[in-house]
Amino acid sequence: MYYISIRKEDWHRSLEKLLLTCDIFVPVKDDYSLDYEPFRLDEAEHISYNNPKPATPLKNFFLPVRENVTAGVDGRKPRIIIGAPNCDIEALMLLDEIYLDETFTDPYYRQRRNNTTLISFDCFGTNDHCHCLSYGVRPYSVEHADLALAADGDDICLRVITARGEEFAALLSPSRKLTDTNSVSFIEQKHQSVEASLAAKNKGLPDYHDTGQLVQKAGNGVWVKYAYKCVSCGACTTICPTCSCFLLIDKPDFEKVKQMDACQYPGFERVAGGDDALFELPHRFRNRYMCKYVWKPQKFKHMACTGCGRCIEACIGKINKNELFMELT
Amino acid sequence: MKVDVEDIKKIKFFEKFTEQQLETVASISSVKEFMVKEIIFEQYDELTDVFILLQGSMSLGISLPKDKRIHLGTIEEGQLFSWSAIFPPYISTAWVMAITPAKVIAIDARKLNAEIDKDCDFGFKTMSKIAQTISHRLSDTRFQLMNQLNL
Amino acid sequence: MTNNTNIYKPLRAKLVDVIEESPLIKTFVLIPEREFVFSTGQFIELSVDGVGEAPFTPSSSPLVSDKLEVTVMKTGYVTKIMHELKPGAVMGIRGPYGRGYPVKSFEGKEVLILGGGCGLAPIRSLLFTLEHMKDKLEKVILCYGSKSPTDCIYKPLFSRLNSIDKFEAYRTVDRTEEGWDGPVGVATALLDKIKVKIENSVAVVCGPPIMMKFGTIRILEMGYRDDQIYLSMEKNMSCGLGKCGHCMMGEFFVCKDGPVFTYKEIKHNPEIWK
Repeated sequence: MYYISIRKEDWHRSLEKLLLTCDIFVPVKDDYSLDYEPFRLDEAEHISYNNPKPATPLKNFFLPVRENVTAGVDGRKPRIIIGAPNCDIEALMLLDEIYLDETFTDPYYRQRRNNTTLISFDCFGTNDHCHCLSYGVRPYSVEHADLALAADGDDICLRVITARGEEFAALLSPSRKLTDTNSVSFIEQKHQSVEASLAAKNKGLPDYHDTGQLVQKAGNGVWVKYAYKCVSCGACTTICPTCSCFLLIDKPDFEKVKQMDACQYPGFERVAGGDDALFELPHRFRNRYMCKYVWKPQKFKHMACTGCGRCIEACIGKINKNELFMELT
Repeated sequence: MKVDVEDIKKIKFFEKFTEQQLETVASISSVKEFMVKEIIFEQYDELTDVFILLQGSMSLGISLPKDKRIHLGTIEEGQLFSWSAIFPPYISTAWVMAITPAKVIAIDARKLNAEIDKDCDFGFKTMSKIAQTISHRLSDTRFQLMNQLNL
Repeated sequence: MTNNTNIYKPLRAKLVDVIEESPLIKTFVLIPEREFVFSTGQFIELSVDGVGEAPFTPSSSPLVSDKLEVTVMKTGYVTKIMHELKPGAVMGIRGPYGRGYPVKSFEGKEVLILGGGCGLAPIRSLLFTLEHMKDKLEKVILCYGSKSPTDCIYKPLFSRLNSIDKFEAYRTVDRTEEGWDGPVGVATALLDKIKVKIENSVAVVCGPPIMMKFGTIRILEMGYRDDQIYLSMEKNMSCGLGKCGHCMMGEFFVCKDGPVFTYKEIKHNPEIWK
């Protein structure tokens, strides 16, 4: 791992050159939200550097809401996704375990993963409900992203992490490799500041493993209480960077369309005979927490919650899972 | 017809009984035979014997108005029936009919109860097996009910 | 496997015959467009073109790879349309999926099979395999119950099984009908009449959830250990690939970790009988 530095205007021009061969997405802040947009040189000053975080989770670039999965994996244009926070990068690891499983590899997901360069942003701030650190996820990437970016005024500093990151770095011009650790000390300071802020904001919040224990032992009362305001809209599952349940819909000529689904929708487990194991709302509500914090950890190496807090922000019933967990401690 | 101890030994119901206890059972039992469609007892009959089926099959069921019979179950070889004979009011909860030529061991219920009172070990063994029989019948009936209700 | 490069793409199969087993159950005889091999107890996703798909365990012999039989009960939307199909129709097959019965580990043992209702479909497939390996088995006993004589599928199966050396088959009905002179009662009642060496035996239970529950309890009472009992859990399998999340039963994907589980593996989960 090493650092390179490039002037911001040279960085933007390098990206513009890459547009000839790649699709590039950058996070842009406007009056309404912070989210990904296709990169355009004339809009480059609107790129929101190191501010958490795009509303769209990274998973949407790899698992579209709807796609035809029998049409053939065509040669898609390579992509560069810039600005994903580390919570989204770590969430991708669970999706890799599910979709790149050796027995059944999803060819569409694999093609997208192979085709994409990931440049994450170190978080130099926090959103109201960020709690990545409580689950052992740092607010910056040192693995799993290809590069990580920290902006410092008119300079862009890139942490080159993977071999693909190195190949990308070689395309940036003019850039220089940083050998003096002092030149990246500002990054270290930012990390410490953000981590201190996260620790203070989430004091007492149980870690991922302990949360699983609490959820498993919780009595019915807490689920009834917190599910009271749930309307099963599925916003939490849609916006979650690790949730990826889907439906396979049959189309004529044995085509299949894969469409995102959510365990929070009524009827998720309804069978042909009419039985529905998740019919009762508190039970359905609890099921998601059991899946994320108890069952998936038994099944997979990587976490099913990286503490991004989007589910809390997105919930129209203002249900806050961290309040629920604090109540259980 | 008198009963040989060796015949009693072969019955799974008595597998944990001592030699002495088996002789006691033999002394208060007799063998009876029934023809096809012969009724062993009707629902609500007063019962005097506890039966164990040695050979053949029997049908067990309940009666409805207008002489309608509902078959609820089949009694197979080795199984006990007429357990109501040892519990007050000693009234049968179902009818039993032979559906093949059948042979049973009939144990005098009054004498069996006397032996249960006298010998605690004998009593415990007998009641345990009867409890198991009733437990299985209850479980099977519940299962049957849930099936019929499409639950 | 239907398609090594695309896990979502079905294999086509021509429907050559439709056998009416009971008022609600039909067996579809299919010729896949290429050889299709499955292990005993694995399942497939069978689709109607442009309508939908549903999971089934084939009821035919796993030793036959050019023909497949799938027994379908008319239960919901897709199966209703399936029941309207006529020979000549083309259906789609994805699979085979899941973990089937570990039949190699049954060698040298007595195999007790307790089945109910439509559970006889996968059991039939298992029986073909056990018949093929009967020289390596001690005994095979089938205890099967249906709601009524009319509801029993594969009626000729029982007399055929009773004519095979080492095989015993017993049938009962919950509710008798005119002309029925066999046992009456639930399948678990048949367990009282069989003789089996439990310490050298395995038990296979397959049927509706209620039957699986009562059957497992009774088999445990008989003295079987929880690792001797094999259950085929049918739970809303959808993608068959361990990805879509619909079939999760606790930490297990039924489509991938099952559908065959030992009772020991799943007994800690309070949801297994739902």
